[in-house]
Amino acid sequence: MASVLQTIVEKKHYRFIDGEGVTWQEAVRLSAESLVADGSVDEDYYKQIVACIEKYGPYVVFDHNVAMPHTTENAEGAHKTGIGFMVSEKLIDFGVDEDGEEKKANLFFTLSAASSEEHMDNIQQLSSIFMNDPLLDALAAARTPEDILEAEKNYPCEED
Amino acid sequence: MAKLDGKRILACCANGAGSSLMMENAIKKVMKKYDIKPAELRHCPVSEGKSSARNYDVVFCAKPFAKTFEGCEQNGTVLLPLKNVMSDKEIEAALKEANLLD
Repeated sequence: MASVLQTIVEKKHYRFIDGEGVTWQEAVRLSAESLVADGSVDEDYYKQIVACIEKYGPYVVFDHNVAMPHTTENAEGAHKTGIGFMVSEKLIDFGVDEDGEEKKANLFFTLSAASSEEHMDNIQQLSSIFMNDPLLDALAAARTPEDILEAEKNYPCEED
Repeated sequence: MAKLDGKRILACCANGAGSSLMMENAIKKVMKKYDIKPAELRHCPVSEGKSSARNYDVVFCAKPFAKTFEGCEQNGTVLLPLKNVMSDKEIEAALKEANLLD
């Protein structure tokens, strides 16, 4: 079965931006654009994600400047399960979390969840990717879809 | 018998679809490592967990949601807020500190 990174490349669910002067709200919108392009999500889907982060804080930004913007399963405007991948050359500022720690991201894995099983598998694979620091570094340096596949080849995740 | 055998464990996040699922996966890893067989291990959104938390023995949540669950501890529920929801190491350490691992 294709890995999530292979699927991202196959479905063209990726985007590379410079990120200069981009707000986190704008970054979330941009990260979902590749999902909008093939009808995986509605154009306004990202607004639900933004509202959720505004309500709960930047808890979707993890260690190593990785963001996983998402809403609920079967959210309104989410038609297909998928991951909108985005690399920003500049770090995007998400403000501070509940401990006053600054949260920034340059890697985005924006989720749309329509099918439970597929989504579950995506999450499992993402967990492994998010714990794989060398892979995250290589992905942050990616500027083309080929770079994404190359990164995965060089730094594969261990199978559970 | 392990202390957590037969216990009910819940993982909560805002939407019950992303981070709570990651938490559940990471918790499973720890359960496997210590050969623990909980009676129940599931994930749900905070909105649901708020009322059901007290029916569980252990509740994991992402740190920002810890306040939501204040009060459930009066019923003997152990609340363990996590900084990194996918870190099995942090889960292991939290359980150890709560004296729930053998």
